[in-house]
Amino acid sequence: MKKNLFTMVLVLTAVWVCNLSAAEKTLQIEGSTTVGPIADAFTEAFSQAYPDVKITVTKNGSGNGAAALVDSRCDIAMMSRFMKLDEFTAAVDKGIMPVAHAIAMDGICIIVHPSNPVTELSLAQLHDIFTGAVKNWKELGGPDMPIVAISRDTSSGTYESFDHFVMRKDKMDASIEYVSSNPQLHSRVKTTAGAIGYVGVGFLDAEVKGLKVNNVMPSKQTIANGTYPMSRPLFLFTNGYPVLGTMSHKFCVFYLSEKGQEIIEAKGFVPVTKY
Amino acid sequence: MRFIIRNITDKIFTSLTVLSVIVLVAILAVILTPILWKGFSAVVFTGTIEFRKMQLDLFNRGDIDRLNNENTSSQSCRKKIYDTIDRFKQNIDAETLCDRIARIYRNFGKELQRKDVQGAEYQRLRSLSREIRDKLETTFSSGDKKVIDENIKDVLKYKTDIGFKDTSAMELFALAEDFAADIKNIDLAKRQEYADALKDFENILTKLLGDNPSLPVPALKMDRYGATRLDIAQKNLYKLLWLEKWQQTSPGKPMAKIITPRAELFAGTEIGPLFDYIRDNLDEMLIPKRTFYWQYLIDGSTPGHYFGGVGPEILGTLLLTLAAMVFVFPIGIISAAYLAECSSDKFVIKIIRMAINTLAGVPSIVFGLFGLAFFVLYLVPLFGGPSKPCILTAAMTLAALTLPVMIRASEEAIRSVPQSYKEASLGLGAGKLRTFICVILPAALPGILTGIILSISRVAGETAPILFTGAIAFGPTPKNAFDPTCTLSYGSYDIAVGDRLASLVPHNQYGMVATLITLVFCLNIAAIIMRAKISRKLKGH
Amino acid sequence: MEYNKVQMNTEPKADNRSLALTALEDFKGFAFYHLGRFSLFAVSFSTVLIVLLIFFFVFQQGLPFFKNFGITEFFTSKQWYPEARKPEFGALAIIVGSIYVTIAALVLAVPAAILTAVFLSEIVSHKIRNLVKPVIELLAAIPSVAYGFFAVLVLAPFLQAEFGLSTGTNALNASIILAIMALPTIVSVAEDSITAIGRDLREASYGLGATRFETIFFVVIPAAHSGIIAAIVLGMMRAIGETMVVWMASGNANQIPSPWWDLTQSVRTMTATIAGDMGETAKSSPHYQSLFAIGIILLVMTFLMNIISEYFLASAGKNSRKK
Repeated sequence: MKKNLFTMVLVLTAVWVCNLSAAEKTLQIEGSTTVGPIADAFTEAFSQAYPDVKITVTKNGSGNGAAALVDSRCDIAMMSRFMKLDEFTAAVDKGIMPVAHAIAMDGICIIVHPSNPVTELSLAQLHDIFTGAVKNWKELGGPDMPIVAISRDTSSGTYESFDHFVMRKDKMDASIEYVSSNPQLHSRVKTTAGAIGYVGVGFLDAEVKGLKVNNVMPSKQTIANGTYPMSRPLFLFTNGYPVLGTMSHKFCVFYLSEKGQEIIEAKGFVPVTKY
Repeated sequence: MRFIIRNITDKIFTSLTVLSVIVLVAILAVILTPILWKGFSAVVFTGTIEFRKMQLDLFNRGDIDRLNNENTSSQSCRKKIYDTIDRFKQNIDAETLCDRIARIYRNFGKELQRKDVQGAEYQRLRSLSREIRDKLETTFSSGDKKVIDENIKDVLKYKTDIGFKDTSAMELFALAEDFAADIKNIDLAKRQEYADALKDFENILTKLLGDNPSLPVPALKMDRYGATRLDIAQKNLYKLLWLEKWQQTSPGKPMAKIITPRAELFAGTEIGPLFDYIRDNLDEMLIPKRTFYWQYLIDGSTPGHYFGGVGPEILGTLLLTLAAMVFVFPIGIISAAYLAECSSDKFVIKIIRMAINTLAGVPSIVFGLFGLAFFVLYLVPLFGGPSKPCILTAAMTLAALTLPVMIRASEEAIRSVPQSYKEASLGLGAGKLRTFICVILPAALPGILTGIILSISRVAGETAPILFTGAIAFGPTPKNAFDPTCTLSYGSYDIAVGDRLASLVPHNQYGMVATLITLVFCLNIAAIIMRAKISRKLKGH
Repeated sequence: MEYNKVQMNTEPKADNRSLALTALEDFKGFAFYHLGRFSLFAVSFSTVLIVLLIFFFVFQQGLPFFKNFGITEFFTSKQWYPEARKPEFGALAIIVGSIYVTIAALVLAVPAAILTAVFLSEIVSHKIRNLVKPVIELLAAIPSVAYGFFAVLVLAPFLQAEFGLSTGTNALNASIILAIMALPTIVSVAEDSITAIGRDLREASYGLGATRFETIFFVVIPAAHSGIIAAIVLGMMRAIGETMVVWMASGNANQIPSPWWDLTQSVRTMTATIAGDMGETAKSSPHYQSLFAIGIILLVMTFLMNIISEYFLASAGKNSRKK
């Protein structure tokens, strides 16, 4: 009896392992954790419209997305930054022609605990906070409270953008805490009185307080038209422009549709076009 | 005197040891109680009508007729709220007005295409209507009466244009005229204030009651339903009734939280009395009922685990353990047999034993690195598989990790079989292999099973090795061993820190971890009981 | 009775085969025996193979890093900026962070663990012992991710609220949880070694008029010292290799706490660095290799600790066998 059961389990496992259904339509999407939620939501919408298409979204960072596209391991790479020169040349060397689709705009917002009376910082002040030159809110016109500066992990696209906008060529101080995701940063700031951190605009809500940067409040308008100093486009990259009518194509132009834009807004990003 | 001191030291020492054990038990209780208790509430809770609607829509479950009845009574109660808001909003909310003109503009464009208007005329009407749209948008969002008047005058100039005759564009003008009429007796300074306050109010109301049925269905499932549970409903009600503000009380200090009734913002308007109405009629609107949601254990979930259960995670964990056991089981038993029965070659045995101990000591994250470098990037591609994390690679990594557990437990079990069994079998003329399979193995089976159970519990609970070798936070059900999978362990990590939506649904956060702990505990308790039984048997029963 | 029945029903079969084996049968038996033994050996040896493969692959991926960047910077600099335009890989603060939380965890865990071990082996009856042991086993069975969950969602807010710390995810939080996780390992190994000390020593001590405290403290524990050291080393291995808890609870700030005793600061450990960075790092980049380099350090550290613990366990075994 036990033996039979065991054999059965073995056979079932073997069948399941070998069940490589070939003719299925699949779409591999890989890359940035920032773009990930949009791709997830697009996938949710696609699963209703095209139930026979299997879309896998792997969120492992912009760098890996680019690498996967270069190695043809994915159909679409999600990236929260543009391709770097070396990634681009590596792609061209392998006969891959990366084409960018800017699907949404994202602003990097500076958030603090709601009890913090500071309402605005300049890029220079942010720079001082994250290089460790300023250690207390007192020096910025706030209460006498040590600054707990929190950053995203150094390999994330959000970090790279923040590095680009704020840090320029300087290094972050050693006392900066690192967290591995936007939500984690959000919840750390929410619960820590002296905290400051940066997240995508989608994470700005009533539980944390967004700061004006260079006297501009991050909002849909200021991010879309570029007056907010820390806004960036989010990209999907494909190998060449996708063949019209394929799933890849449908996915890459979904952001142009009304529903696509609604999703982008619902996820807290800013659509690139006004329908 | 010295004797007393010695005595007291002795007493203190004894009580310290007792204390340490009590602390140990207390730690276990402190860790388990909140997790299991809150996790339990993912399955048993007071569900609202929104929960039942969600279940019907997403999982096709529930009594449609009864739900329709409930819905009618609930909607009749809610209608008053939506009507009041609509009336109030008409000319307050610039954004809604902008949305409306955007929609009209879009419809007009479609209409033009439908009517097959061509060439220059199309261009002219299109650009004209765009101009009107933009003008109206500035009008609606402006607070300056003079700007508004001028813009409206500009817009109405085009009313007589022949191209707009009998088209949907006329709605634009109607809207502009209405607005001009209404604006006369509204305090424009307050308009923006009301609009902002109303927007917050509506947002929270959506979280509480679900989307306004007269509006189009939201694209995301999580926006379609209100509070699915009474505890969340009460939290949202509190947010609706009370406004939290942060105010500077004394300079140089952090701001203090000040809570005022939200109704004050709408004092003197029709919205004011709505707050009491909502508070008093919450039960009629949400119809809470005691719910036993056992399907939590089989249901899939929407992104961020906002709705639904942990079905895919449980399935993934089972598949992963099963696949890992396929590797661990034979290797573990054969190695144990070799170590216990063929221990003639001391040197080889010593090396194998050392390898087992080393393997047991390797940090789990290093197994993850190894799995990534060997299984994902080398071994699977070597056999023509895809070079990406999947169940197979995760299972192999976990198998390597749990092999020492299996070997040690099985070896102990085989060794504890009394020598007399073996001698009797050999004496009856059975060969070594037959003796092992027919006599020793059955006798050692309970002990081996304990080993299997313990390794399953280890496999189910480990997270670090599968971070890069096959676990994902959210995705389709795996079709074969070359797909990555959700697991309870990685899901617990993701739901704790990786997903903001999850922090809005704490019961689902705790539910996932509680499921994992319960699973692991059941396995471990089974192993403990089994071991106790074996030891009783060995003691002579 | 049943036995008799069976006897009666089975007629002894006539067997006219000679008892001596033919040469072929003899060879067959010999061949199969050794073939079987060899295949058993081959499968058992797979454990050794896995260990070798782990070492080989982690070193293969990590050594190029040391080749390209040298080892001085890695071990002496605190500057860890792997993704900067001019990357720097100073892992000193990370390595120190790992050791720091591990030692803090041991300081919390060892006294409690030894007291518990003494309680289990010396003080209570067999019955209570059988009740307490499952508790310890369950503590060991809780998955590390569940501990991490508890650390982030329950302990961190508690520490912030009750002690007014500026951050709840810090070395203290991680150490407390690591201590709890290392406890079961230390308790069970220490208890085994204390139990293994023979009755004669204890009886001699009691006979001389020593109290229980004196017997345990001055006789039993010194006699069991190698086992207890092994237990502590094993607990240390558990703590230093733990990933999820430190990743979620330690704050991951790349700094060495100053002043050194300030546990309320955030630190970053080797395991957390690997777990946090690996997910988004492009394959075969210097950053990727540097994470494997950290893996090498971890592997070598735990391997050495393993040898130490085995040495002490072996000597504990010898000691108890002597009696």
